[in-house]
Amino acid sequence: MNPVLLWFHQLGSPPIFDRFAARWAPWCYAVAFLLMGVGLWQAFQVPADYQQGDSFRIFYIHVPSAMMSMLVFGLMAAYAAIALIWRIKLCEILAMACAPVGAAFTVITLVTGSIWGKPMWGAWWDWDPRLTTELILLFLYLGVTGLYHAIDDRRAAARAAGLLAIVGVALLPVIKYSVVWWNSLHQGQTISLFGDSKMDPSMQLPFWLMFVAVQFWFAGSLLSRARADNLRRESGKDWVAKLAAKS
Amino acid sequence: MTYVNYVVGAYAAFAIVMLWDFIVPRLQIRRELRAARLRKTRAAKRAEPVELSR
Repeated sequence: MNPVLLWFHQLGSPPIFDRFAARWAPWCYAVAFLLMGVGLWQAFQVPADYQQGDSFRIFYIHVPSAMMSMLVFGLMAAYAAIALIWRIKLCEILAMACAPVGAAFTVITLVTGSIWGKPMWGAWWDWDPRLTTELILLFLYLGVTGLYHAIDDRRAAARAAGLLAIVGVALLPVIKYSVVWWNSLHQGQTISLFGDSKMDPSMQLPFWLMFVAVQFWFAGSLLSRARADNLRRESGKDWVAKLAAKS
Repeated sequence: MTYVNYVVGAYAAFAIVMLWDFIVPRLQIRRELRAARLRKTRAAKRAEPVELSR
């Protein structure tokens, strides 16, 4: 068997995944902290925006978080679909571990957006399509987490919550294109991963640093949360008892 | 610096949520390992022979 494929199959084993997560989560966090440190330092070095003044610096935490809120939901649905189709327990765990991290990014998006909106729009909140759909995304994350914890049987709970995640994916294009489809208060796309950005290149470096940093943060958080859930599910097994005795 | 209160507020909110996201899984892992240790201790105690005395 191909060694990469073999490694991937072995990773489905709970004790091997536990070792993998315990080993790599701290490294992911370390890279995230480093990049975030540099990114945030850079965010306060670039000149203030000629219209928004310094409030534009909120952009460096708001936009990466907003992108992650959608990316994480997509990934959660993908894991949930794999878990439903191939009944891979690890994918159930990973899908359910995505929900609180994605909810955290969504909360950051909503709160920082609201704080930016007050001086720029004159209001903390508006029932604008982008804001409203992002709020619905938060409710979906909370729904997935709530449903997962409401059912005692872990596997049945993961299947039910996974189904909700898969259905919820329909919201992602609505969030993404809400600023195109409706002429609303929220500004259009400022920065693009693959196309032209409307932001001056001199202001982009902190954004890209923060964008990569939140990816590493997500990886660290996902591994840690999945490890905790894996330990909970395997609590009666020998390998957990041995691990607990060693720690 | 303009709008300093808003900038500080936004970064503080970011830091608080990230800190929560950092701490919670660590506490969960610690709790699970502690529960496993206690389970093992209880199982070991149950396995000990009980001496009856009058």
